[in-house]
Amino acid sequence: MPAVTFDPTAEFFAELGSRGREPLLTKVTGSARFDILDGKATKRWLLTIDEGELRVSRRNAAADCILRAQKSAFDRAAVGKLNLMAAVLRGEVEVRGDPRLLVLLQRLFPRPSRDSRGKR
Amino acid sequence: MSDGLVKILDGNTFVVSDARGDMEASLTDPTGLFSYDTRFLSKWVLTINGERMNSLSVDDLQYFETRYFLVPGTGTVYVDAKLSVIRRRAVGNGFHEELTILNHDDKQIDLSVRLDAACDFADLFEVKDALQKKGKYSEKVEGGKLVLSYDRETFRCSTAISTSKSARIDKQGLTFKIRIRPHGTWSTQIDVAAMPFGTGEARQAESSSNSQRRMRTNLARWIDTAPRLESDSDSLKRTYRRSLVDLAALRFSPLIAGGRSLPAAGLPWFMTMFGRDSILTSLQALPFSSELSATTLRALADWQGVGLDDFRDEDPGRILHEMRYGELTAFEERPHSPYYGTADATPLYVVLLDEYERWTGDRALVRELEVEARAALAWIDDYADLPGDTGYVWYQRRNEKTGLENQCWKDSWDSISFRNGRLPGFPRATCELQGYAYDAKLRAARLARLVWKDPTFADRLEKEAADLKRRFNRDFWVEDGEYFALALDPEGKQVDALTSNNGHLLWSGIVDKSKAKAVARNLLGPRLFSGWGVRTLARGEGRYNPIGYHVGTVWPFDNSFIAWGLRRYGFKDEAAAIAAGILDAAEFFDGRLPEAFGGYERTETMYPVQYPTACSPQAWSTGTPLLLLRTMLGLEPQGENLVVDAALPSAIGRLELLDIPGRWGRIDAFGRGRVDVERRGR
Repeated sequence: MPAVTFDPTAEFFAELGSRGREPLLTKVTGSARFDILDGKATKRWLLTIDEGELRVSRRNAAADCILRAQKSAFDRAAVGKLNLMAAVLRGEVEVRGDPRLLVLLQRLFPRPSRDSRGKR
Repeated sequence: MSDGLVKILDGNTFVVSDARGDMEASLTDPTGLFSYDTRFLSKWVLTINGERMNSLSVDDLQYFETRYFLVPGTGTVYVDAKLSVIRRRAVGNGFHEELTILNHDDKQIDLSVRLDAACDFADLFEVKDALQKKGKYSEKVEGGKLVLSYDRETFRCSTAISTSKSARIDKQGLTFKIRIRPHGTWSTQIDVAAMPFGTGEARQAESSSNSQRRMRTNLARWIDTAPRLESDSDSLKRTYRRSLVDLAALRFSPLIAGGRSLPAAGLPWFMTMFGRDSILTSLQALPFSSELSATTLRALADWQGVGLDDFRDEDPGRILHEMRYGELTAFEERPHSPYYGTADATPLYVVLLDEYERWTGDRALVRELEVEARAALAWIDDYADLPGDTGYVWYQRRNEKTGLENQCWKDSWDSISFRNGRLPGFPRATCELQGYAYDAKLRAARLARLVWKDPTFADRLEKEAADLKRRFNRDFWVEDGEYFALALDPEGKQVDALTSNNGHLLWSGIVDKSKAKAVARNLLGPRLFSGWGVRTLARGEGRYNPIGYHVGTVWPFDNSFIAWGLRRYGFKDEAAAIAAGILDAAEFFDGRLPEAFGGYERTETMYPVQYPTACSPQAWSTGTPLLLLRTMLGLEPQGENLVVDAALPSAIGRLELLDIPGRWGRIDAFGRGRVDVERRGR
């Protein structure tokens, strides 16, 4: 039996898939494919957004926006330790397709700082 | 141009060169080809048989293309030029240059034409702050192109130079060995393509002739659809025309806007999206074009903060301050991806949304942006009240290394001070922020009733606004000077310097009627009013300096909002006096108002002294004559109509603004100068 290790990328997509409706994306309809390079393998997740309704699959299909990154980079993004836009600017995450969707997708990723002041 | 540099631009790509068309940038010298906040060509020098060119004239064809007329030689003695050289350059995806050489002799001539090329790939921040690079440079010749590159880990920028006529290409440039027959002409097309980071697919390369055609049509349409101005004042007509053209040049299409444009902040440092600048410029331009507002509102909505990020000073609901694309941002040595450290853009966002609806009647956009507007309003209550129990908007950066100390429009380090010059601690609650928050709440209440159909929310907002106004007029009012304090310090004490911020308070409507007269008197009084405009900080205050960035200079944009504020409270003549001063100043700058000019007394200097490193053109200075026109004509949307109530300085004489677009279709406004501004403000 293989050892159970924490896989932030897989966890991230599992959570997205169970999130259902994302209130921050209610005006968004589109699809994004994440090509995650892990050694010699490429793992793919396809996220479709239908007016905020999220669906995640492992299909390798065409999408409005395609992001491609090493798993080590994406693992950091999945836990709020990598800012997607900065990573795109330095070429660590490659993006093809609709740039506006990329901006909006950032809303799905955790932020690095805790909401300590938070809402009162 | 005043600095001897020639600038052409399209969106966030611009080229700065000397009058010969040459670029010889150093790390601290802002010449070169820039795109996405990165320099893509720092050396571009033309020689013929080893000789540099001498400039005869420069023809600014459009903001995106220029023609340089040159002859070989140093120009120190009279040159009997047997050759003329014409460089015609247009910005595109990089730039396109047509190099033409004319032989005026009746003998054929052999020439060695050389273009030296090199690039430092500097981030604009590096050019500004003179920093050193961390990556590797390379040059290679491949496929008939000279490719200059810069690599740092996964980051890569490159520039590809190619030509239509065959050339010998080496790693430092291109050489053409040519022969021109008697009275003949030789010409080549040269393409310099900038290839920034991972945007290859997003930026479909466009042929240069296509892009020039597009830009020409676009500018013509922009000018055509703007209202027409007729006046006895030729100076005003010139200034208006200059503003329209410069505003066209400063329009910038962020990748996410699908080809629509919004106002970028200014040349050369700020060809990017700024929350505050884009919003205020859109407000100034609303009577002339509503497109900028719509794009600004949408683009800023896409980037609205959703979580907490201390490095970027991001909060949920917060509107961004500044977006950058260069290397330092990419490697998170600067927080601009984007940076959120501004306390005014968020309330101003709501103000713009409402003002946009009042002009256009576009309720669909107000519905579309309801979530964002509510999030912005929630930010004011939940995240901006840093002490937690004051009901005021405060700021204090969480990024203490590269964040902004002052998160208001006066964002230099020493802009917020007591009368005696002492700087307060943090957090700070500057007064104009409270005005913006008040205005945002009232305007949102109107939208909540009208469009979002939520009267309960509207009631709550109005109650909060009334409460804020009551407390503000008590806590910020400086009794012995009869004006509003610049800020509250962390202990809630008044930061009591007299500043131009008082004018923004009139604009926001937060000032009690009973106090407005005293505020207007101070604004037009000798300590603040220089004769050209209202100083940022009053003469006599500890830190007053007539050429201090935010502590004594006159900012045209500031004055346009002050004039609007004065009109709001019925001080028509005072508003006209400010408009007259600023428009007089514009005449000294050929209609192109700088970011700021000296706060010297008008009677002392007779001309406005430009602030040394001011950006020009700058978006909100460019928008200033537009807002002043609105203010002088007293243009105010009321329901489906546009009310006109002119109060013009007498020097302007007759003024007609024709075909003002809005929910009414097109309306003309007329006025005649009757206000004797000489009696005012002296």
